[in-house]
Amino acid sequence: MTFSADRSTMIEFRDVHKYYGDYHALRGISGEIKSGEFFSLLGPSGCGKTTLLRTIAGFEGISSGAVLIDGKDTAGIPPNKRPTNMVFQSYAIFPHLTVAENVGFGLRRDPRSAAEKSRAVDEALEMVGLKGYGGRAANALSGGQRQRVALARALILKPKVLLLDEPLSALDKKMRELMQVELIKLQRQVGITFILVTHDQEEALVMSDRIAVMFEGEIAQLADPETLYRRPNSRKVADFIGTMNFIPCEVLSQGMDTIEVDAKGLGRVTLSTDQAPPPNGKESPVVGLRPETLTLLYPGQSTQDRTVDGVVDEVIYFGDMTYYDVYIGGTDVEVRLSMRNVPGRPILDVGTQVQLAWNPSALVLFR
Amino acid sequence: MKGGWFRGYAIVYLLVLYAPIMLLPIFAFNDSAIVSFPLAGFTTKWFTQMADEPTLHDALRNSLFIAVSTAVISTLLGILAARASTRFVFPAKGAIMGLIMLPLVLPEIIAAVSLLVVFLGIGIPLGLITIILGHVLVCTPFAIAILSASFQSLDKSLEEAAYDLGETPLSTFWLIILPLVMPGIISSLLITFTISLDEFIMAFFLGGTNVTLPVYIFSQFRFPQSVPVIMALGTLLVLLSITLLAIAEYFRRRGIAKTGGKNTGGFL
Ligand SMILES: Nc1ncnc2c1ncn2[C@@H]1O[C@H](COP(=O)(O)OP(=O)(O)OP(=O)(O)O)[C@@H](O)[C@H]1O
Ligand SMILES: [Mg+2]
Repeated sequence: MTFSADRSTMIEFRDVHKYYGDYHALRGISGEIKSGEFFSLLGPSGCGKTTLLRTIAGFEGISSGAVLIDGKDTAGIPPNKRPTNMVFQSYAIFPHLTVAENVGFGLRRDPRSAAEKSRAVDEALEMVGLKGYGGRAANALSGGQRQRVALARALILKPKVLLLDEPLSALDKKMRELMQVELIKLQRQVGITFILVTHDQEEALVMSDRIAVMFEGEIAQLADPETLYRRPNSRKVADFIGTMNFIPCEVLSQGMDTIEVDAKGLGRVTLSTDQAPPPNGKESPVVGLRPETLTLLYPGQSTQDRTVDGVVDEVIYFGDMTYYDVYIGGTDVEVRLSMRNVPGRPILDVGTQVQLAWNPSALVLFR
Repeated sequence: MKGGWFRGYAIVYLLVLYAPIMLLPIFAFNDSAIVSFPLAGFTTKWFTQMADEPTLHDALRNSLFIAVSTAVISTLLGILAARASTRFVFPAKGAIMGLIMLPLVLPEIIAAVSLLVVFLGIGIPLGLITIILGHVLVCTPFAIAILSASFQSLDKSLEEAAYDLGETPLSTFWLIILPLVMPGIISSLLITFTISLDEFIMAFFLGGTNVTLPVYIFSQFRFPQSVPVIMALGTLLVLLSITLLAIAEYFRRRGIAKTGGKNTGGFL
């Protein structure tokens, strides 16, 4: 990721708590979102992503703590006075207005002349690829087009922060992937801070400069996509982002810079301390390994990495990829690995004896 | 042949329901002062005779004034109640809404007599105002039922979007909510107007010396010679009611289609 960390802070959460009656929806959220950043709030359903987003917009008051926008405490400032605009999950296109009236809605209180405003509307429509759609009834639009109208309507006010609550979840897969790319481009073009709520980890990884992973009202990890993927700070985060194999292990010794573990099937491994996030002490220790960090060695291939013998238990064919579930080291530990299907590389059968290459640097220790 | 039985039942039911009403226009155009078969011939004189009945004119004026006032007041009350019940959570909401809807099933004569006692007790003179109060009591539950459906089918994020785009809660109400529930409001106005126009019990008990159309019709039945005129008047009233209800239903459906909701129930 090329995002530079030395930008100014746009949003700051200071120990934000939110109660709905007795229900503790936000449990001490702290963190910063940088100016011009594409930031995602990622987490399973009900973890409080929408609630957190709505505290920025001003739709949801907070029970304690503070939300700062561009250095200013937002307490008591209503949504219509905040420098934020929102793209709603349902798009919330006003059904009784035309596309142009929808897009220009936020300019009603703008002192500019009607001609200037209508030019601004045209520009906004062009920016989202809806040039010439201004006269259409908002009702007569497809899902993707509504999405764009909602974007144009929010961006025309040039907010400091654009808030997007699962904006792509109502679109089909093709359209979603297209809009992901368009949103990234749009964000680069306008330079506005985007905060995206999503429960789709792939979407978050693709689009974001940084991601906050949330569970049950708390931020579990706040990091850039690569760190999140390669160095998740807990088993829960690792499990939520992509696929990870967890292999039971025993911690043998802990040095200043290294940790010695004995992983079932893999044997003794020496890890550096940055491969071991702070222990939570609740679960028995495991090492995590992503499927693509394991490589199947075909006959005649050799490797500098360490190897382990295995038996293929399951073959899952995906077209461009094949997933293999393999028992390793003569144990009952099963790992999943992914291999790209390139010409000349046969798909193996269940029961085949195989050799896997792996590198200790790809391991993460959770304990 | 379950379906066959059911169809037979439905036909008999509709006959019993509508055949008497069909008699109205038949005798309204029958050239005889006596309401009986065989028919005597075609005439429109009963309709023209209505023009020469000053008490009928008074009754019509009273009824229109009452119906318009009732429609406006109960629809306004309905807007407030529907908005409150669909947007806000408040203690004992279910019980309060239940009580507001209760007049829908309360025996009207009981309500009328109770109101009469209250008005006499606190010394409010009986007249058009007291009839309007009675009619508002009867019509408001209908208004709430119609308007709740409109307000409920409104996506909450539409309001939030307007608020987010710089409007105040008040201007949001004018710019977004009102236009979108307008079909429901029109529907409510028409239906409460129709109910008030046809209402007899409240008007009879609470009107004092003031006469509305239904009360006028009731009083005229004592005079056999005026029965054909009543038939003519009844024909017009039925036509008016059906027209108004049809328009109301049109608006109700259009409103639901507009806000993208599902059509559940309604009065027609
Ligand atoms: N107005 C409310 N009253 C009571 N509880 C609420 C309210 N809004 C949200 N909650 C609860 O707070 C929790 C967090 O809700 P939130 O909408 O923020 O979740 P989310 O992470 O956006 O989930 P999803 O992916 O399903 O949208 C949920 O358990 C929800 O039931
Ligand atoms: Mg949500």
